[in-house]
Amino acid sequence: MATVFSQYAWLVPAFPLAAFAILTALGRSLSRTGAWIATVASLASFVYSVMIAAERLAKNAEDYIGGFAWLRAGSVNLTAGYEVTNLTALMLVVVTLVALLVNLYSLGYMKDDERISTFFSYVALFTASMLGLVLADNLMILYVCWELVGVCSFLLIGFWYRKPEARAAAKKAFIVTRIGDLGLLIAILLLFWYMPGHALDFASLHNVFYAQSGIISTSITTLIALLIFLGAVGKSGQFPLHVWLPDAMEGPTPISALIHAATMVAAGVFLVVRTFDIFAAAPAALDTVAVVGAFTAIFAATIGLAQNDIKRILAYSTVSQLGYMMLAVGAGSTTSAMFHLFTHAFFKALLFLGAGSVIHAVHTQDIREMGGLGSRMKITAWTFGIGALALSGIPPFSGFWSKDAVLTAALDDNPWLFAVGVVAAFLTALYMARLFFLVFAGKPRGDAGAHARAKESPAVMTAPLIVLAALAVVAGFVQTPFSGWLGSWLTGGAEEEHASGLAIVASVAASLLGLYLGWLIYSKGAVRRDAVSSRFPRLVRLAERKYYIDELYDALFVKSLRGLGKALSAFDDVVVDGAVRLAGRSALALGRLNTRLQNGQIQTYGLAALVAAVVLVLAIAGRRFW
Amino acid sequence: MEALQTLTWSDTRYLAPELALAVAAVLLALLDLILPRRASRDLIGWGALVGLLAAGVFVGWHIYDLQSAVDAGKEPIRNLLGGSYRVDDFGNLLKLVFLGATALIVLASLGTVKKAEVPIKGEFYYLLLPAVIGAMVMASSGDLITLFVGMELLSITSYVLVGVRKRSGASGEAAFKYVVTGGTASAFILYGMSFLYGVTGSTRLSDISGALGDALADYRALVYVAFFFMIVGFALKLALAPFHAWAPDVYQGAPTPATSFLAIVAKGAAFAMLYRIFIFLYRAFGSEGDQAAVREDLFLALAVLAAAAMIVGVAGALKQQNAKRLLALSGVANAGILLVPLTLEVNSLHSSMFSEFVYYLIAYVFMNAGAFAVLTAVSRSSGHEELSAFAGMYHRAPWTAAAMTALLCSLAGLPVTGGFFGKLFILFGAVQTKAYWLAAILLATTVASYYVYFSFIRQMYMRSGESDQAVAVPVPTGIVIWLCAAASVALGILPKPILDWIDGIFSLGADFLAR
Repeated sequence: MATVFSQYAWLVPAFPLAAFAILTALGRSLSRTGAWIATVASLASFVYSVMIAAERLAKNAEDYIGGFAWLRAGSVNLTAGYEVTNLTALMLVVVTLVALLVNLYSLGYMKDDERISTFFSYVALFTASMLGLVLADNLMILYVCWELVGVCSFLLIGFWYRKPEARAAAKKAFIVTRIGDLGLLIAILLLFWYMPGHALDFASLHNVFYAQSGIISTSITTLIALLIFLGAVGKSGQFPLHVWLPDAMEGPTPISALIHAATMVAAGVFLVVRTFDIFAAAPAALDTVAVVGAFTAIFAATIGLAQNDIKRILAYSTVSQLGYMMLAVGAGSTTSAMFHLFTHAFFKALLFLGAGSVIHAVHTQDIREMGGLGSRMKITAWTFGIGALALSGIPPFSGFWSKDAVLTAALDDNPWLFAVGVVAAFLTALYMARLFFLVFAGKPRGDAGAHARAKESPAVMTAPLIVLAALAVVAGFVQTPFSGWLGSWLTGGAEEEHASGLAIVASVAASLLGLYLGWLIYSKGAVRRDAVSSRFPRLVRLAERKYYIDELYDALFVKSLRGLGKALSAFDDVVVDGAVRLAGRSALALGRLNTRLQNGQIQTYGLAALVAAVVLVLAIAGRRFW
Repeated sequence: MEALQTLTWSDTRYLAPELALAVAAVLLALLDLILPRRASRDLIGWGALVGLLAAGVFVGWHIYDLQSAVDAGKEPIRNLLGGSYRVDDFGNLLKLVFLGATALIVLASLGTVKKAEVPIKGEFYYLLLPAVIGAMVMASSGDLITLFVGMELLSITSYVLVGVRKRSGASGEAAFKYVVTGGTASAFILYGMSFLYGVTGSTRLSDISGALGDALADYRALVYVAFFFMIVGFALKLALAPFHAWAPDVYQGAPTPATSFLAIVAKGAAFAMLYRIFIFLYRAFGSEGDQAAVREDLFLALAVLAAAAMIVGVAGALKQQNAKRLLALSGVANAGILLVPLTLEVNSLHSSMFSEFVYYLIAYVFMNAGAFAVLTAVSRSSGHEELSAFAGMYHRAPWTAAAMTALLCSLAGLPVTGGFFGKLFILFGAVQTKAYWLAAILLATTVASYYVYFSFIRQMYMRSGESDQAVAVPVPTGIVIWLCAAASVALGILPKPILDWIDGIFSLGADFLAR
């Protein structure tokens, strides 16, 4: 079987990495050209990813593993390698496509920013590390890329570092995800300890865990799986570590699209799917994944309903959709999780870029100040509408097929999970209807002048919208209840697709109901907007304030940690610094002694040498003659 | 006693590298005489480079030749003159290192050595060649007398090289100090050798090692005297603390390429000789009783010197403001590190001391040759050699600043560079042989050395320079800088192939212990 393109799969991350290197080295002198270099590099890696995927479409394509021995210390071998499977090929295409469109879009969106080449170099590094994460053939390399992704997100969220909110959000994203990273690191160390031959590559993990050979006991397996999941919870914004994701909206909008659609948050789901063998061997961990996913899906959806910032609504919707993906993995269906990740990447990127287009036009993010933009921004409105329908799960848009697959999997696993999923689907449709109608329909609210000046974004920004809209429509057809092509391709035919009439009916009904209710409230005005908030003000306030999770964390962890920090800092100042100062001073004193010897007089040098020689002989040889 | 073996015509093929250098030196000396007074002496520099490369090719051929001898099941050694000169893998590898390092130094000095400073530029170039011959003899001898002759050949030419800036008082002072110190060191070593001859009746290393065990029973004190005199002499040569005081003065006074030569080739050659002589102690002395005690004492003395050199070198460099003196003291610390593998016990668990030594030596060559080349360019543009000459480098010469950063990382032992892995391998060796105190000192001084090397980085990136003028880097110097920076990083990324290569060529038993 031909693996011509797969052999050089390392080229895919190499292109953006090279762009990053070039932009970093020559950034200041390139400015606009640099942006184009980065875009061309992302185009190159997209084209190459498509070629790899096309190669793998052939029947029984062999997985390809390449790489080299990186370091050998004793019996431990560390390899740096990459692995091309159908799963990684799919991810490559998704990541590079979204990255390419985000690059193109940013050419327009970031046009007037003076640090544009810095921006593009960060995006290139971000893309490269995500691609490296996808291609990694072992957990060590994956972890390195995982951390790189974290660093890049920090840089990009805080890109406008003059805004204090952006700085705070960047810090928050970094610190909160670090909590998850710690879990992943401990999991890797445990695996390193328990795996035969200290192997960390996915092939060996598969061999050990898939057969459930009992090499590693169930309790340890469960612990490892839960720790890996903790890493995924941090990166994929699952409850209770979801708090960084909405704040990450402080970054430039194309970055929100990149983070939310294809790179950072997808990494968590991808990790769980990649290490699914471990989870499969630990049923308790698998149940935890499903419950956390379901809870996150409904929890974030209720918050999304009460937000007024266009990007924050989308952010909570991402959290909620990631919950769906986790729910699917937890229900044992990696295919439907990957399928939802795949379709979600397109429509969520579309929604974010559409939101960026709106913000670009009216210079506000508050949906209460928008309205009636549909007539002024036709392309944005239409494409955004398609994205909203896809997200709401209306047939035949892509979101319907994937959400249906997730719900079917949930129904097979546990009816309660299914019920939660259906309610979340209803809420999703409701908040998307609210968002769409408030922004694009009705009469302009807020600043009339700003509205009058609002006009459609340039072609370089709308073209990606159109491409993504087309994909949001058709991407769902790779896996329908009638043909499980994606599933059999990803899993080699192991997972059977079965339609469930109940799931289809329930999910469509819930979505349509949500849309209809949204239309009644926010467009037609048949139901008063404060119908709920006047009756249950506390409930709405609770959702608006995001269940006070941030405040809770602040009181529980941040304040107490600050106190601990102060105590430690005092200890540090007095004891540790004291010791360091002592060491430093004694080194300097030794240095001064040396300077005194170094007086330029060769007689002194000779004398010193003679004394030293005598002392050396007496101290070492002399003791034998005593 | 075997009959005296004389040199035959067929032996010349084994002396080809040394002969090539000798021929080149003579030809270039003649050329210097013939060339008109005003003609540029750079031509002689290029000629020296060609000679060095030719010698390198011959050494490469020897390595191949010995490898095929191994494949044919023979001993990988060619003995000349009854074993007083021997071509083996240890010598060949070090010869390659010396030739490569000298080539880098010559290349870096082309275009930076000014005639106003060095009026005898031609001599400067062709004198490097006999110096390298001396170094090669030191790496490749099996006899005390030959070793000593090689050492003197290297030393005497180096004295001239240090004083080559005839009109500079500092250069003259440095040369004088170097002559006196070098003479003292030679005296110590020669005196120690004479005792060794006295108690064993031979100057041949293999015969000495055979007779030493018996001699110990009768003349224990004299054996101690012999070896301690040699240790002190070598400590002076290698500038191990507290015998290092001459080094900063001499390094500062010498022209920078000559400093670079002292720091790399002269030091490396002294190490080669030290390893040659002391490794025989393992065959000479058994592992029990009195013999083991003496052996342990001698290696303990070396270990103490290594530790002192690491500590004093780093501590002295902490507050140093002159870049050359700083690099001299860094050389003291590095000499300590290079000595560590020799002091570690050789046993079945740990027999890789030579690989550790050579790997770090190679890393050391690149980081120092590169750093000195940068220093040459920078001091030429600013007119002095203080640390402040590096101020604002990031803006005045960003590429050179980047290369210097890589070199400094290697010097400091930060990943991913050759310096990091070199230190790491030595550290592993120390831990394997349970020499924990040496490992601890190695670690602590490495951490302290970050402060030293970051003073360069602080100047380059965080201080604004006296002028905004770009630093002009001549093309050959730039090539050397980048070659060294790239090699330092490459050694860090691919440590394994190089280590495997060294391991594959070298075997402790055959190279040192076979007759």
